Amino acid sequence: MAHPQIAAFARLAKENTKPNRLIAGQKTRLSRTMHDIRYDAVNDEFFVTNPFARAIMVFRGGADGEEAPIRVIQGPKTQLVGVDRLDVDTVHNEIYVPNDDSILVFARNASGDVAPLRVLKGPDTGLDAAGTLAVDPINNVFVTARDTVLSGEGARSRLLIFDRTASGNTKPLRVISGPKTGIIRVNQLQIYAPKGWLVATMPGFYDMQEPDGIFVGIWSVHDNGDVAPRWKIAGPKSLILKPRGVAINPKDKEILVADMRQNAVLTYYFPEIF
Amino acid sequence: MSGRRRFSWRSSGALLGLLGAAAGLLIFGDATTVNWRAASEAALRKPAGGPQLVSVEPFPAMEMEGEMCQWTPASASEGLFEALQQGSLTQPATAPARASQDVDRAPVRQIRDTYATYSAIALDLNTNEVFLQDENLFGIKVFDRMTSTPPGAQFSEPKRMLVGDKTKLEFNCGLYIDPKTGDMYSVNNDTTDMLVIFPRNAAGDIPPARTLKTPHGTYGIAVDEGKQEMYLTVEHQNSIVVYRKLAQGDEKPLRTIQGGGTQMEDPHGIALDIKNQWLFVANHGNARVRGADGTYGRFDPPSITVYPLQSSGEVAPLRVIEGPNTQLNWPASLFMDEERGELYVANDANDSILVFRATDSGNAAPLRVVRGPKTQIKNPTGVYVDFQNNELWVSNMGNHRATVYERTANGDALPKRVIRSAPADKLALAIGNPGAVGYDSKRDEILVPN
Repeated sequence: MAHPQIAAFARLAKENTKPNRLIAGQKTRLSRTMHDIRYDAVNDEFFVTNPFARAIMVFRGGADGEEAPIRVIQGPKTQLVGVDRLDVDTVHNEIYVPNDDSILVFARNASGDVAPLRVLKGPDTGLDAAGTLAVDPINNVFVTARDTVLSGEGARSRLLIFDRTASGNTKPLRVISGPKTGIIRVNQLQIYAPKGWLVATMPGFYDMQEPDGIFVGIWSVHDNGDVAPRWKIAGPKSLILKPRGVAINPKDKEILVADMRQNAVLTYYFPEIF
Repeated sequence: MSGRRRFSWRSSGALLGLLGAAAGLLIFGDATTVNWRAASEAALRKPAGGPQLVSVEPFPAMEMEGEMCQWTPASASEGLFEALQQGSLTQPATAPARASQDVDRAPVRQIRDTYATYSAIALDLNTNEVFLQDENLFGIKVFDRMTSTPPGAQFSEPKRMLVGDKTKLEFNCGLYIDPKTGDMYSVNNDTTDMLVIFPRNAAGDIPPARTLKTPHGTYGIAVDEGKQEMYLTVEHQNSIVVYRKLAQGDEKPLRTIQGGGTQMEDPHGIALDIKNQWLFVANHGNARVRGADGTYGRFDPPSITVYPLQSSGEVAPLRVIEGPNTQLNWPASLFMDEERGELYVANDANDSILVFRATDSGNAAPLRVVRGPKTQIKNPTGVYVDFQNNELWVSNMGNHRATVYERTANGDALPKRVIRSAPADKLALAIGNPGAVGYDSKRDEILVPN
């Protein structure tokens, strides 16, 4: 991708609608390949990662133009390796980062070269190239998964559900895995905590332009084992080709899906989960 | 959720309650009666030997109101009566039945740009054609060099274009046209990890003539035609990989320039000065540092690093152009004018083209800066100089345009011609490989990072 940026569109924007705001430029410290963005409504801030500079950046909610982040977490003490995605728990004021073979948890207002508050790591965790995560402060869990699987690999990703406060070499509480799940690899995750619904993007094999087996799947955070998603959004009407990003808007009962093959964001009215 | 099914669930709850009460009377007999009597007396009511209204309490709202359809398979035919007959509702509660529901539902809205967005540019001076990388719709559009979109026109049609799944074009950012054969070399920056090569007149949805597997995150391309060597920058590895120009398949690079000592930091554009045997690289400044406790990240200023052309391994730059006077701001593609010793920089986030002397070093001010509202330059990521016709070409990610200037243009220069691929008032959305999306509930906005 030639040009990094964050574009903010009106919720009702359609094809070719100009963004309300564009955040770009050297001072922003953004890079391309930003694979997560989380808006914190309590503190009116949003969080993104810069995987090349191994940093977490926090911006004012209304950031615009070439605006610098208000906080940056970066440096040798952070243990950040492949910081690609993250989630923010605004109830317990923590940032969760999937970090390959570990999960790092930072204070929400951490800044600079700081050590994580907790680290989940070890053979019992089952973590395997953890690349995506969502945290649920109501049901007290977080869910993580591997985000990259090539077509030649026999392995498939799985959804590992941990106690929210897990640290050290702790086993997951539950694992959603197996052929009935339809999971190949998992990209951005969201949890609608009041109902415990886990919404996951499934973009199929990494190295295929328009792979089979793509969908947006919705499970309960209480699910376990080889279980199909409760709902599976896919098919020709959905227009989904390669879903990578997902966000939820409970107020309007909408699920937003970022489709990389179309360079598009698709909005679905989906009252079932709200 | 159908009203009929909701009624059924609530009715079953009520009936369960009645059944439970009846069962309680049968099982617990006098003890229960005593308890009820005591409770009634406490409420200043007297036993009447028959039913009487004790209190009115609505059924509790269902815990997952509006969401229960998914618990019952769509194929289920069992009604309440049948369930009661089978006794299933009188058994202890268990986890609700679980089913998967496929939903093929049309989106209510789509945010996307329906027009071409140009990341890179190159010319074939043998055919007088300009080639534009369309990173939005994943294609290459070919125009006559003299194409000029009238201000009132919606857009200009290309002479031909490459587009479609078979082409394997995706997030195509770097572009090189072989000056003799006209072969198109297209760098796929993300997802497919390959370089695709097409013959000069390729058009439509056709497979590439050959492909080369490349590292993830390749961006810029330059070729040493004399040595038949091809140079690619790799963002994810902070490296340059050098291949045989005609390499294909899984062929490995001849050499790699990589390591902290190179000061490559998220490298983008690349240009070669064959005369002086120099190699120029544009860096965004996203650095990785090897420390005692491992590798960590750091933000450095944007820069242009210069190396000996035949470098290999962890080579220190000969010089670095860096600092506030340079005006560098996300420098993207580079183009070298060996004859005049000038280096052109597509300066993405500054909406400008910078021209440096090839010998510049440190905090050097550019020799010329093309920038301003008359230029129509918006997020330039591609630059090319046509020495035959003395023209400077720019591909603009921000406004669906390629703009052409005098080679020596400086300041707020008017373009000689503009090739526009969308109505003039359309800003390019420049959404590229959206790997995530967010929702700002305060501003009712959708956040889309690239």
